[in-house]
Amino acid sequence: MKVISLMLIKCGFLLLLATSTSAVFAQDLNTSDALAKVSEAEKMGENYVFENPDDRKTFLKLTAELRCPMCQNQNIAASDAMIAHDMRRKVYQLMLQGSSEKQVIDFMKERYGDFVYYQPPVTPVTIWLWALPILFAFVMMGVFLIRRKAAPEENIEAKLAAANKLLKDD
Amino acid sequence: MKRITWFMLPLILFLGLAVFLFQGLYSDPKARESTAVAKAFPEFSLPDLMDESIMYDNSVFDGQITLINVWGVWCTTCAIELPYLESLKNQGYRVVGLYYDQDLDPDFGTKTIERVRTEVVSTLSKYGDPYAFNIFDVYRNTSLDLGVTGAPETFLVDQQGVILVHHLGDLNERVWRNKFAPILAEIMPMIDSSDVEASAYIESPKAGSSSVELGAGQ
Repeated sequence: MKVISLMLIKCGFLLLLATSTSAVFAQDLNTSDALAKVSEAEKMGENYVFENPDDRKTFLKLTAELRCPMCQNQNIAASDAMIAHDMRRKVYQLMLQGSSEKQVIDFMKERYGDFVYYQPPVTPVTIWLWALPILFAFVMMGVFLIRRKAAPEENIEAKLAAANKLLKDD
Repeated sequence: MKRITWFMLPLILFLGLAVFLFQGLYSDPKARESTAVAKAFPEFSLPDLMDESIMYDNSVFDGQITLINVWGVWCTTCAIELPYLESLKNQGYRVVGLYYDQDLDPDFGTKTIERVRTEVVSTLSKYGDPYAFNIFDVYRNTSLDLGVTGAPETFLVDQQGVILVHHLGDLNERVWRNKFAPILAEIMPMIDSSDVEASAYIESPKAGSSSVELGAGQ
């Protein structure tokens, strides 16, 4: 019983470790980090006024999730690059024109590729981001199960042989 | 025997990881596929940089192969590539500037258009002027539609207004040979057979220069 629970804990730990390396987790971190920084855009003298507080939330979310194509690891909310300024303005314009969140993202993707959005699309190449950690966890689980089974048998035989030898020596 | 495979497994995994990371050392983090290639040049209607009464639209591409060079006077690399662009112009290629300015923010602009023009004239007289004309992307909307991340960037647009090449960074001999020349070589035979006018444009400066030589000889 104890062995099984220990094993479950091990597997759980591995799974956590594996998922933490995947892009999904990295993206979550990035978004929350960016939401904290988002007011920087307002500090830069860009006051984007929304009548509806929900629209403002969407704007903050979009600028946090869209990646600056010029700078390597900043979203357009935190970046001071000219392209980020222009993209923020475009997001605002598109929203005023009534574009939905998805439409704004598609607009940017059409121009700057999948790179521009922090959530990668599932393609034959990117599927490994999700599949690999899970696959790894399963393989490791298999390895543990095989080793658990094999180890005691070996020990028993060795012990038996040792015991028999002792008995004979006696 | 089984033991050895178990010992080898981490080694193989490590080697695989090492090769993967080693590749990363020499890959360009800024390299990414352009989404503009093989699409029509985005619709635009923009004024001339030097004279706002002249307006350009997509008809500037009609029947001619054009190099669109995105640039600005504030951009150092753009100034560095000007001499090479001028040499392309002298070879008979049509180079058109898509100009945008940094300080001339449509909402918080502090730089006047007169000042921009003075700076453009002085830069072009200093480093060379390859441009047939300059389109002024006032609000930088066309640059955004093109997927421009920063100057300089160069687009090769065919006579139907379709983008064939999108190059980020400066244009030089090596880039021209590897990225632009093969595409041009591909479409050139097509022009010769199908579009006489377009080939006439490409050929005419060369023809013009040779006739000048002839004239000088006589």
